[in-house]
Amino acid sequence: MVRALEKYIRPGVKATPFCPGCGHGILMGLILRAIDDLKMDMKKMLFVSGIGCAAWIPSPHYNGDTLHTLHGRALAFATGAKLYNPDLCVMVVSGDGDLSSIGGNHLIHAARRNIDLKVICANNMIYGMTGGQVASTTPRGSKTSTTGEGNPFRPFDLCKLVEGAGATYVARFSVTQPVSLIDSIKKAILHVGFSFIEVLSPCPTQFGRRNRLDRPDEMMKDLIQRCILEQEAEGLTEEEKAEKIITGEFLS
Amino acid sequence: MPFRWVKSPFPKGTYYFSGNEAAAEGAIAAGCRFYAGYPITPSSELMERIAVRLKEVGGVFIQMEDEIASISATIGASWAGAKAMTATSGPGFSLMQESIGYAAFTETPCVIVDVQRAGPCTGQATKVGSGDIMQAKWGSHGDYQVIALSPWSSQEMYDLTLRAFNLSEQYRVPAMVMADEAVGHLRETIRVAPRVEVWDRKKKKGGAPFDIEGEDGVPPMAAFGEGERLSVTGSTHDAYGFRKTDDPEVHARLVGRINQKILNHKRSIIETEDYLLEDAEVALIAYGFTARTSLYAVKRLRKEGQKIGMLRLKTLWPFSDERVAEVGKKVKRIMVPEMNLGQVAGEVKRCVVCDVISLSQTNGEVIGPELLIETLKKI
Amino acid sequence: MTEIKQVRLSGFGGQGVVLAGLLLGQAGVFDGKYISGSNSYGAQARGSGCKSEIVFSDGPVDFPHLTIADILIAMSRGAYDNYCTDVRTESGLILYDQGFVTPKDNLKVKHLGIPANEVSVKRLKNKQVSNIVFLGALIEATRIVSAGAIRKAISMHVSERFRSLNLKALQAGMELGREFNG
Ligand SMILES: Cc1ncc(C[n+]2csc(CCOP(=O)(O)OP(=O)(O)O)c2C)c(N)n1
Ligand code: SF4
Ligand SMILES: [Mg+2]
Repeated sequence: MVRALEKYIRPGVKATPFCPGCGHGILMGLILRAIDDLKMDMKKMLFVSGIGCAAWIPSPHYNGDTLHTLHGRALAFATGAKLYNPDLCVMVVSGDGDLSSIGGNHLIHAARRNIDLKVICANNMIYGMTGGQVASTTPRGSKTSTTGEGNPFRPFDLCKLVEGAGATYVARFSVTQPVSLIDSIKKAILHVGFSFIEVLSPCPTQFGRRNRLDRPDEMMKDLIQRCILEQEAEGLTEEEKAEKIITGEFLS
Repeated sequence: MPFRWVKSPFPKGTYYFSGNEAAAEGAIAAGCRFYAGYPITPSSELMERIAVRLKEVGGVFIQMEDEIASISATIGASWAGAKAMTATSGPGFSLMQESIGYAAFTETPCVIVDVQRAGPCTGQATKVGSGDIMQAKWGSHGDYQVIALSPWSSQEMYDLTLRAFNLSEQYRVPAMVMADEAVGHLRETIRVAPRVEVWDRKKKKGGAPFDIEGEDGVPPMAAFGEGERLSVTGSTHDAYGFRKTDDPEVHARLVGRINQKILNHKRSIIETEDYLLEDAEVALIAYGFTARTSLYAVKRLRKEGQKIGMLRLKTLWPFSDERVAEVGKKVKRIMVPEMNLGQVAGEVKRCVVCDVISLSQTNGEVIGPELLIETLKKI
Repeated sequence: MTEIKQVRLSGFGGQGVVLAGLLLGQAGVFDGKYISGSNSYGAQARGSGCKSEIVFSDGPVDFPHLTIADILIAMSRGAYDNYCTDVRTESGLILYDQGFVTPKDNLKVKHLGIPANEVSVKRLKNKQVSNIVFLGALIEATRIVSAGAIRKAISMHVSERFRSLNLKALQAGMELGREFNG
């Protein structure tokens, strides 16, 4: 991590806990860049996370208040803290499994309330921490440790889900689109209301190696190729689109 | 001093409150300024009243999407500095258990009122029971302590909810009010004193929020946003909240401490009451609504010449091992009437060598005086 | 010896049994009594049989539920049939609605029949206030609580819209009770 960002790291933190090539490590830095750009006061920032690899992005690393909660419950804990102390800038950073599967009900209700939380969902399309089981975000056909033949079910479109539920800032970017992503995180921080950014974050260890993307850089390259902006998708056939991941700001 | 006397927010006087309403007032008097809950019979009147009252005193009320969210929001608000609570009944209490373990392990003050109904499962939703006593103590996984109180009147729904907040703040532990449907819905004369004693969690700039500081074994607790840059986690952690999930010593010390800080203060936490026990040969050990029936039965049988008395447990957890053992030494027999299949009777048996009879009733009705008197006459 | 009086109000759901119990208990509190009240709850309070039970005492109440009624108010035939045998013999009193109940003659309990429903519908033009008519008759016949206390309870718990109607019903009931007393 670059020196300029060190002040945002809790003294005593030595290394990140992520596997080599994990997108979560990149995201960890990009969030801090957005915070640094906005000159946010870390003493007034609360970072809430659930359980999973992604939940370790803020906790205990970020040098504000961090609340590492239970699997799926980050948004409920965050709701209590934000309602009681509205002066806190409350950011929730957690995984796709955490926020959308076990925590799915809290996700749609927090969105419905349009409560002022900045939610960053690190989506690796898998349960990373527990060994690569299928998630509610795993693409149809992908192999996981519990779907050896390929996932038979379709995944959630998280952005559409939260938009339908009432979120008022919704975006999707990949860690391979750092400039747009930092910009988006800044907008989410400044937005008053429920903001949701789905961040595609590769998990080479649990997803890649089961889906013929053996090396971390192959996963990155794959994401770079597949992530396109909404405008770029316009001329494509449905078949071509199916291969792509549409990124961008969907609601702001 | 960590406690102070404050003017009662509700005007001093005599009122006719249901237990559930009284609990809401007790909470407000204790300084509760956050409530998150989900409707469930027979506890809902508490939520309905506190929704109105929190608005009046400038607190925060929210109805969440379920009980897991309710207790979790309560814990989040507590770390943001609030005295916070939720209330529920059996099915909701079951859902809350993982978060209750979180509160115990992160030493988060919070209060849970469980207005027990006849379980298991959805059971008899509008009927009385007290089958959650063991769940209160053992409901979440791992070894931890909670404080659980047992009110027997509307007055005590007020008094013990207030006390639950005080104990919870003092010891940084989840405190439960194990009410039952009969007490929750009982409407009685209650007295509100002009001033109430209120405890606040202690604070210290730069203090270690998860380590022994001072002799009571309870660390200071700052709130989010106070510049302390807290790190709170339900994983095993060191004095400053750093995850230490591979260190056997840190884990053993933390588990030991969160248990010991409660057990070491048993004497000041536990409250029991003696009724006509001096010369008693038979003792009833009772709690909650059933203690009302028991007192009635004891007085009736005394008139008929039976040497009988009652020990009432106002605190259920930590359990009154010592007092129960003392009573067990003095009497020939103990009977434990309760609206479950002997949950507290089992604890009593653990503490005494004398005969212990469990009188169980699990039909959704309170144990009435007749059953109790008849049974006592037979033994 | 603390004196205890136990009152059971009964009828069917929708007759205002629970409200009458609340007012009676509240009035007892105003009069400085120790009160323990409980009533039907949930589905019961909405349909079928409904009851509200109040224990009045000069000192703390040990067992807070009713053990035997000193006074029974039966607003419906079903209520009378269900509870008439559960009233203290000799000193007990049953107040019932003349329009609905034919009293049994083998009970050793004082009976007072009043046309509460009729007064409510015909005189007060509202079928919802026979519960209050009963309260009026009850306090006049037994002095279990003071008239001032019950008026205060009405202004505390009855919304402004219906307050004067309820006070009128109370007055009408008291007149019916007075006939009995006199
Ligand atoms: C109640 C509960 N169930 C299951 C688990 C086990 N568990 C821990 S992390 C995790 C999945 C995390 O996946 P995700 O949120 O996508 O984060 P990732 O590790 O992929 O970043 C699971 C199932 C748990 N901790 N608690
Ligand atoms: S398992 Fe996957 S998500 Fe977890 S740290 Fe490793 S690469 Fe990242
Ligand atoms: Mg994941």
